[in-house]
Parts: sequence; structure tokens; C-alpha cells
Amino acid sequence: MTKYKNIESLIENEKSGVSDLDTLEKFRLNFLGKKGEISLLMKELSKLGADERKQKAEELNIIKVSVLKFIKDKTAELQNVAMQGQLTSESLDLSLPVSSQNGTIHPVTQVIEEVIAIFGDLDFFVAEGPEVETDYNNFTALNTSEHHPARQMHDTFYVNSSSDNMPNVLRTHTSPVQIRSMLNQKPPIRLIAPGKTFRRDDDQTHTPMFHQVEGLVIDNESNMSHLKGCLETFLKLFFETNSLKMRFRPSHFPFTEPSAEVDIGYKKKGNQLIIGEGDDWLEILGCGMVHPNVLKNVNINSDEYQGYAFGMGIERLAMLKYGISDLRTFFDNDLRWNKHYGFSSINIPSLIGDLS
Amino acid sequence: MKFTISWLKEHLETTAANEEIVAKLTALGLEVEEYTDTSKIFSDFVVGQVLEEGKHPNADKLKVCKVDIGTAKVDVVCGAPNVEKGMKVVYAPPGSTIPVNQMKLKAAKIRGVESSGMMCSEYELGISDNHEGIIRLKDDSKIGQSYSEIAGMDDVVIEIGITPNRQDCLGVFGIARDLAASGLGKLKTRKNNGQKGSIKSPINIETKDADLCPVFAGRYFKGVKNVKSPDWLQQKLKAVGLRPISALVDITNFVMLDLNRPLHVYDADKIDGKIIVRESKKGESFNALDEKSYDLKEGMCAIADEKKVLGLGGIMGGESSGCNESTKNVLLESALFNPINIAKSGRNLSILSDARYRFERGVDPKSVLIGIDRATELISEICGGEFSEVVIAGEIPEDDRSVDLSVERIQKRLGVSLGDKETISILNSLGIETKQKGEDISCKIPSWRQDILEEADLSEEIIRIKGYDHIPTANVRTSEKVNSVILSKEQKLVSKAKHFIAAQGYNELVTWSFSFSENCQFFGDNSKLKIVNPISEDLDILRPSLLPNLIGAVKKNASRGFETFSIFEVGSQYKTSEPEDQMNIACGIKAGIRQKKDWQNEKSLFDVYDSKRDLFNLIDHLIPRQKKITIIDKAPDWYHPGRSATAMLNQTTKIGYFGEIHPRICQHFKIKERINAFELFLDDIPSITKKTTNKSILNLSDFQSVSRDFAFVLDQNIKGYDLIESAMKVDKNLIRDVEIFDLFEDPNLGNNKKSIAIKVTMQAPDRTLKEDEIQELSSKIIEVIEKSTSGSVRS
Repeated sequence: MTKYKNIESLIENEKSGVSDLDTLEKFRLNFLGKKGEISLLMKELSKLGADERKQKAEELNIIKVSVLKFIKDKTAELQNVAMQGQLTSESLDLSLPVSSQNGTIHPVTQVIEEVIAIFGDLDFFVAEGPEVETDYNNFTALNTSEHHPARQMHDTFYVNSSSDNMPNVLRTHTSPVQIRSMLNQKPPIRLIAPGKTFRRDDDQTHTPMFHQVEGLVIDNESNMSHLKGCLETFLKLFFETNSLKMRFRPSHFPFTEPSAEVDIGYKKKGNQLIIGEGDDWLEILGCGMVHPNVLKNVNINSDEYQGYAFGMGIERLAMLKYGISDLRTFFDNDLRWNKHYGFSSINIPSLIGDLS
Repeated sequence: MKFTISWLKEHLETTAANEEIVAKLTALGLEVEEYTDTSKIFSDFVVGQVLEEGKHPNADKLKVCKVDIGTAKVDVVCGAPNVEKGMKVVYAPPGSTIPVNQMKLKAAKIRGVESSGMMCSEYELGISDNHEGIIRLKDDSKIGQSYSEIAGMDDVVIEIGITPNRQDCLGVFGIARDLAASGLGKLKTRKNNGQKGSIKSPINIETKDADLCPVFAGRYFKGVKNVKSPDWLQQKLKAVGLRPISALVDITNFVMLDLNRPLHVYDADKIDGKIIVRESKKGESFNALDEKSYDLKEGMCAIADEKKVLGLGGIMGGESSGCNESTKNVLLESALFNPINIAKSGRNLSILSDARYRFERGVDPKSVLIGIDRATELISEICGGEFSEVVIAGEIPEDDRSVDLSVERIQKRLGVSLGDKETISILNSLGIETKQKGEDISCKIPSWRQDILEEADLSEEIIRIKGYDHIPTANVRTSEKVNSVILSKEQKLVSKAKHFIAAQGYNELVTWSFSFSENCQFFGDNSKLKIVNPISEDLDILRPSLLPNLIGAVKKNASRGFETFSIFEVGSQYKTSEPEDQMNIACGIKAGIRQKKDWQNEKSLFDVYDSKRDLFNLIDHLIPRQKKITIIDKAPDWYHPGRSATAMLNQTTKIGYFGEIHPRICQHFKIKERINAFELFLDDIPSITKKTTNKSILNLSDFQSVSRDFAFVLDQNIKGYDLIESAMKVDKNLIRDVEIFDLFEDPNLGNNKKSIAIKVTMQAPDRTLKEDEIQELSSKIIEVIEKSTSGSVRS
């Protein structure tokens, strides 16, 4: 009994000497190692009679368990202290700046992709045509004869090649894609055609190159009311507002009859335009019912088929939606502008996710 | 087209408010572009009287005046030479806006003397170009009275945009007619007086070509005085921005603006013999009223006398027969000309005139005599004299266009329900006479609507008058889908390429599709890319490559202080200017500083391997199943010959280039950075039809892999990739990967030698490799590489 008392006081004594993991290990060996005090006492038990052995073993085991518990607790405690020390010594100045090299998508690309996302959902496919066009496709087939006054509204670029003895042009609008598509495909047709267009114009509000998106629907029944529904749906989705106000006004394009221009309601607040509020009107696009002469030119029977077309400027859409005030900056290629107005490389406009 | 509300109301009886008129005009397709209430322009300006006038203490040319403005007496510093005591002036107080420059006036010290407001000249008020002195008002003008009342500026000027089809609204009367049709008021029609002439015209008229000029009506006036026009006429013209010249000229201008009837007056004494309307001949020329000389081409419509060309019919009159103050006898012309010929001639000679503008859009044939009648009335009244009977050469063409219309078809086109009665009522309001013709309605089109040719045109007229607001909104979605594919494979490639390249840190640019031939000289033959009428000399061809404009952008941004350039464009370049010779290219440039020196990193520059990596990763992104991209050590001239290559797909298809741009080009652009670029030919990327959506089977080995390093001393010209390939081929089954982990050159290695070290990873699919197997494989690798490269392993 006294022997056990001794060892208990020995244990208590040595506990106070444990200050780190090394001394703890030493402590463990002193008592629980092969030649440790407790291990030796354990061995001695075999020499005792059965009753005494059982009693002593129980006593000894209690001591052993308490030593084990001490080791376990002390290990955790010491590890914790060590970890704290490591953490303190390793702390970094996280205010230091990190570099970023994010690429950007040009607003023209962004808006074209938004337009495609919306019209794709409305069952329009994306058609394309060349930027150099024949005079016929750009004008004549679109009911714009050589001397039509409307031709003077386009200041046309001519290039040094020709088709049917007429110099080829840089297309002045995306409308020739209508012609190419209708020659290629039978109704029903539902398409949009985004792309580059060119006019010989360069001032505050014009650039010699810009982008348009054309829309065309030809079937047995599409009329002005479908056109209105189509544009209203598009504009609401594009400007991401349900309160959009829209106004149709008579206008004139040689390739549509009746023709309309579409205004949307807006309000000016400081330097910002707020679409969907206010009482002022802003012209946004031109449209109309496809002229029977155009259908005739692509061999579509206008007694059986009819439909509508529309066209709008991509930069204008971008300027209105994103508050870009100067058209010319789109093509200035000033990297400060591109980084400011550009879009994240991995944002692909969608109606399911985010449009913008 | 500009007009004033008061002018409009001479033709339209209406109680509608101005706002209502404006809204209706726009709703009718006569879009109101500007609305100016002239009474507001001068509303702040009042009559003042100069009470005292003294010298400015610090300036010889300035005077300090005390001005009575009714409510107060103010000090105004004035520099006008004509200012004097007692004079009545137009006074602009601080806070008012000066019309000519839209400047807001502030009280300020002028050379040390306080000046409150200013006294205005005609120029400052935007009335005329006269800025010699300030306006002297009549002595009986009332001090403090608003200047608006005195100026008679209490009208509203409206400017509307007229679309090319609406030639009928190029006169105020026509605008009133359209408003009346829409129900906004009643049209006041003017009866022709049909004045009888009292003398015989001494000038005969002959028209030689009925196609060029179907009719030419003339009236001779004798003993007129070409005085200044009366105030009412001058004010009308001024209000719409026309400068009054003399009564005769002003009258023709007025009739044109009022009734949309272009007229011309000749000084009859300057006409030799008779008027001959004929085709112009080569070599003829004339001095026009715009003080320029024009060389006529064959086939234009010349108005001539027996000796010379007097003018270009329907476009512009000539100086030689023009009227001035001393003109006594005149010939008034009212004619019709061929619209196409006018358009052609006008464009050919680049003459813009109000007459051309109207004739090429089509003028109402019936206006020939109406115009003469109205002008005769005004000339007699203002200029006096006697006049002859109207002499008519040719014939006023019959215009009996009629169009069949079915209400059902119109409804189908518009998506609007219409009754027969409503339809007919709208048509009649537009002056279209209707008659039942079987199921259809036969519509007789009035002569002033030269644009209405078919039923579709009538559909627009009907909905225009009914109002576009009445078009309902129908659902755009159809019950059955029309398109199974929205984007083609090519279109998807473009979009994927853009986003992937941007994700590599590039900024997308959109540069002109044109470029400067001088900058493009390095990019092949440009002779077939010319733009005939470029917007400027330095945008004179279609771009043969995306590179010149992108390199230009590097230059531009470098001068803005940028040092890092990661830019790209996806777009078209052109082989020739034929429509089919357009190619889709993705082109990226990396130049300048890749990594700035900062607290963490050393500075590094972009190099050609950045472009290679971006191109290869891009290709891998676009066609992930086609791993076999190789390179050929040759690229076009615009690249550095030792630092460029062509990327090949399956060794047969050339799909791109990458490399450093030739230093000569950087020199040309005065760029000091090295420019690295890639070009990917998107059109040449094969479209792969997915046979299955499954990916290929993946076999992974769980047995341990080992790696061994080898270093070789090799000739300079040995390619790193050949080393990798050779090593891979030693045992395709056991060698998983070969990687170059070190590369250096050192004179100690020998002349033109380099050292390449590779790490070879070995792994068997079915067992753990034993040491002797690894040894054997290693020896083989050394043997094969030494043999294939004539190099030696470095110990």
C-alpha cells in the first residue's frame, strides 16, 4: 500500500516537471515504459496470491488510467500551445496587393450575345452574311432602286470588285441577310442576323463601322400585331424591366410597308437614362411588314406568305443599357475604356442565368 | 421641313393646342424633331433706354452706360461703336441666355467696372449676321416692354423629318392636309383665281424631250419692280431659316414652301430668243446661282435659250439669267421633271437644292398651274406690272392610278380589325376616291400622293390615320417550333473562342474592318482590297489581317502609358473585296510586361511561348478530341523567321500561326516592345459531328509509378519536342509521360551545344515495375535519344 502511495506522490512530483512534449515523453517512459515504475509494479503482481493480486491490480490500474489520462490531456494542451506559437509566428500582412489580369469581353459582343439569348428563346435562328455585298442584295432586292431617294440616306462605301457590272459595297445594313436567307430557305422563316455594317459617316454620333441586328419572320399569318408583340417581349427582356413603355410611329423604309419606328419611354436622371420610367421618348429601332416587292424578288408568293422585319443598332442598345455616352469610344480601343466597360470573360448571357 | 404654327393655321382650321398638333404630327409619321417657342427665346429681353454714356476708366474702346429698364436703372459696360445717349436698346439681364451661343449671362466686372447684363446686337440675338453695333429700336418703343412682342416672335417653329416617301408633305399646305385627314381640323382650300393675262408672252417655250420634262409652263411679267419683300413674307422665310433676297426670289421660295411647288424666275431680258428644254450635251457648262460652275454631262435636263444653257431643270437656275434689283421683265417657270434624271444629275454634279430634293421625290403634276396662279397673285401684288397668258409646252400628265383593296387582306396584314365603313372613311379623308369593285374596293389615288402604288401602301395609310397605337400586341411565340438549331457550329466556335481568349487575360477589342494600306504592306498583296471612296486616307483598304489594327492599338495604348498589352479580336479579314473572300479569324496579341516587378515577383516580359500556350489551349478548348496539333517551323513574312511557327491539325490542316511579330513591323509602327501573336483560322477548324456524347474510355493504373531524370548534351538545333517524342516511343506501354524540366546553354558544354533534362514517368498497367526493369528502360531511353540526336547523356 505504502509502495503505491509512494508512486502516486512520485507521479504528482514528476507531473510538475512536464513542460513540453519531450518531458512529457520522458514522463511517459518513466512510468509506462518497459522499465517504467508502473510497468515494474505490474510485473510484481504475479508474485502475489490471487486475492491480493486482484485487489492490488485494481489499485494499480486506477493509477495507470489516471497517468494515461494525464498524458492524453497534457499532449492536447501542449500541442495546442505549440500550434498557437506556430500561428503567431507565421502571420502575414494580407493587406499587400495581389495582381489581377482579367480579360474582358467587348460590349458589342456582350449585347449581341444577349440579343441572341433572347431571340433564341423566341425561336429565331442566327443567320449571317458577308460584310462585302453586291449592290443587288444591299439595295435593289430590298426594293431600293438605283435612284431611290432612300439610297442617299446611306452613304455607301464601294470596293474595287463588282457583281453584274455594279461595284460591290460594304453592306449599309444587315438587311441583305434577309435576301440571302429567303433565297436559301422556304417559309416559315424566323431569323435574326447580327453583324457589322458600314456607312460613310464620321462625326459625334456616327462611326463608319457599326453593328446591327436584323430580324425577319415570314409565315402565313405574322402581322403588325405579332411584330409589336415580338419587339415588346424583346425590349422588356433586354432592358430587364417589365415597366417598359413602347411607342410605334409611322416611318419609311423601302423594304417594309407599313413601316414603323419604335420609341421607348425613358427618364433622364443626372447623366443617367432610366429606361421604363418617365415621359420622354427615345428612338430605338425601325421595323415593318416585309414589302411584297421584296418577297417577289426572292420568289416567295406574297399572296400566301407575309411577315415582318426589324433592325436595330447594337451600339445604341449597349449605350442605353449600360450608360455609355459616346458611340465613338466603342472603336477607340482605349484599354482604360475596354477594362471599364468590358464584361467578365466567363459570363455568357442566358435567360436561365443572368443576361448581364 | 420647318414651318410655324401660324403658317400652318393659314391652311388648317383647328382649335387643337400646339402640344396636340405636335403629338399628331409624330403619330402621322411626320416626326417632330424640333419644337421652338420663339416667344421664349426673347422672353427675358426687354426694351431699355441709355440714360447716360461715359468713358470706361480702364479701356478706350469701352463705355459705361446707365440704362433704364423700367424696373430699375442699371450700369452696363458696352463696346458697341453706335451706343449713344437716349437710344432705345434690347437689354439682356443677368441670368438670360444669349441665343447665338446659348451662353448664360452673368453679372461681372469688365476691366474693373461692374456690368449688369448687356445690350444686344442682331448677331447676338441670332437674327442676322450683323454684329457691327447694338440694335437701335424705334424711339417710341416702351421702356420695360418684352422684346418678344416687338420682334413679333410669338410663334412656334416646328421642324419635322420627312421620310422619302412623303413628298406630299414638303409644303405647309400638305402638312395641313394630312392633319385634316387625321381629324385634327378642317383644311382651308384655296381657289385658283385663274387670272387672265393682259399681254402676249414674247418668249416661246419648246420642250424637246417629254421624258425629261413632260411639261413646262411659263408666264411673262412686264414692268415689275423687284423690291424688298414685305415684312410678312420676310418674317415667314426667316422663321424657317431662309434668308430673304428680293421679292421675286422670295415669292418663288414661299410658294415652294407653302404649296410644295418649286418655281423659277428668269430675268426675261437676259434670255436670247426662246426657252428650249433639252438634253444637255457633252462639254456644256453653266454658272449656277450658288456661284459655282458646273460641267454638264450628256443626258441631263438643260434649260437653254438659243445661245446658252440657262440652268439645270429642276435642280438649279443659272447666274446669267438670274433676277436682281434692276430686273424689269421676268419669265416665271413651273414645270415637271423626270425624278430619276434629277436624282442622277444632282448626284453626279453634287448639287443639293430644295428643288432637286422635291423633284427627285416626285412633285404633284397638278401643282404646275396652281403654282403659277399663286405666284402671279403675289408678284402682281408686290412687284406690280402686267402679265401674259400662261404658255404651256408639253402636257400635264394624266395621273389616274388606282389600286384595288380588300378590307380582309388589309386586316390580315395589320392584325387590326377594321370595318368597311371605317376603311372607306379613312381613305376618303386622305382624298382617295373609293368605288366598290366586286369583292374589292377600287381606290383612285390623288395626284399629290406619288408614293401610293399598291395595296401594301394603302395598308400603311389606313393604320397611319387610324393610329399605330391601335395595333394590338400578339404573342410572338408559336405553338410549333420553327428552328431546331439556333446557332450554327461556326457561330458557336466564334463565341467559345472569344470567351476562352478573354479568360486567358486578353481584352477584346473591336477595330475597324478597314485599315491603312501602308500599315498592311507587310501582310501580302493588298491590290484587291481597295475601298473606292474611303472615309479617310488612312482607312483605305479592307484589312488583309487583324494584326495591323491590333498592333496599331498597342501603339496607341503605349502612348497612353500602358506597358502591358493582352488584346484580341475575333472578326473577319479579307482575301479580296469579293463577298465570298471573307475569313473568320481569332487573333491575340501579348506584348510588353507579363509580370510587373512587385513585392512578390520579379519583372518578366511576354514571350512567344505565351502566344503558343494560348493558341494551343484555345484549339484544345474548341476541338477537345483532336489532340494532335503539331507545328511546322515556318510562318508568313510578318513573323520573326526564327520565332514563329504554323500550327497543324493532324499534320494536314493549317489552322493557325503563332510567333513574334517581325521586328521590321514594330519598327514601322515605332513600337519598342516585342509583340507576340497568334492567329487562328476559325473557318478551317473541322466541324466534328459528335457520334456519341460518351467520352473515350479511361484506363487508370493503380500500380506505383516511378520517375527518372536524364540530362543530355545536344546540338543547338535539336528540338525539345523530338526528345520527348523519342523517349515516349521507347515503350508506349510503360512510359506515361515525358517532361522537359531543365534547359540551359553554357560554353562549357561545347560550341553550339545545349543541355536538356527530361523527367520520364514510368508505370505498368498490371504490376509494380521492378528495379531491373526500370534500369533496362532507362538504358534504352539513353540509347535511343543518343542515337536519334547524336547527343550524349550528361553525367
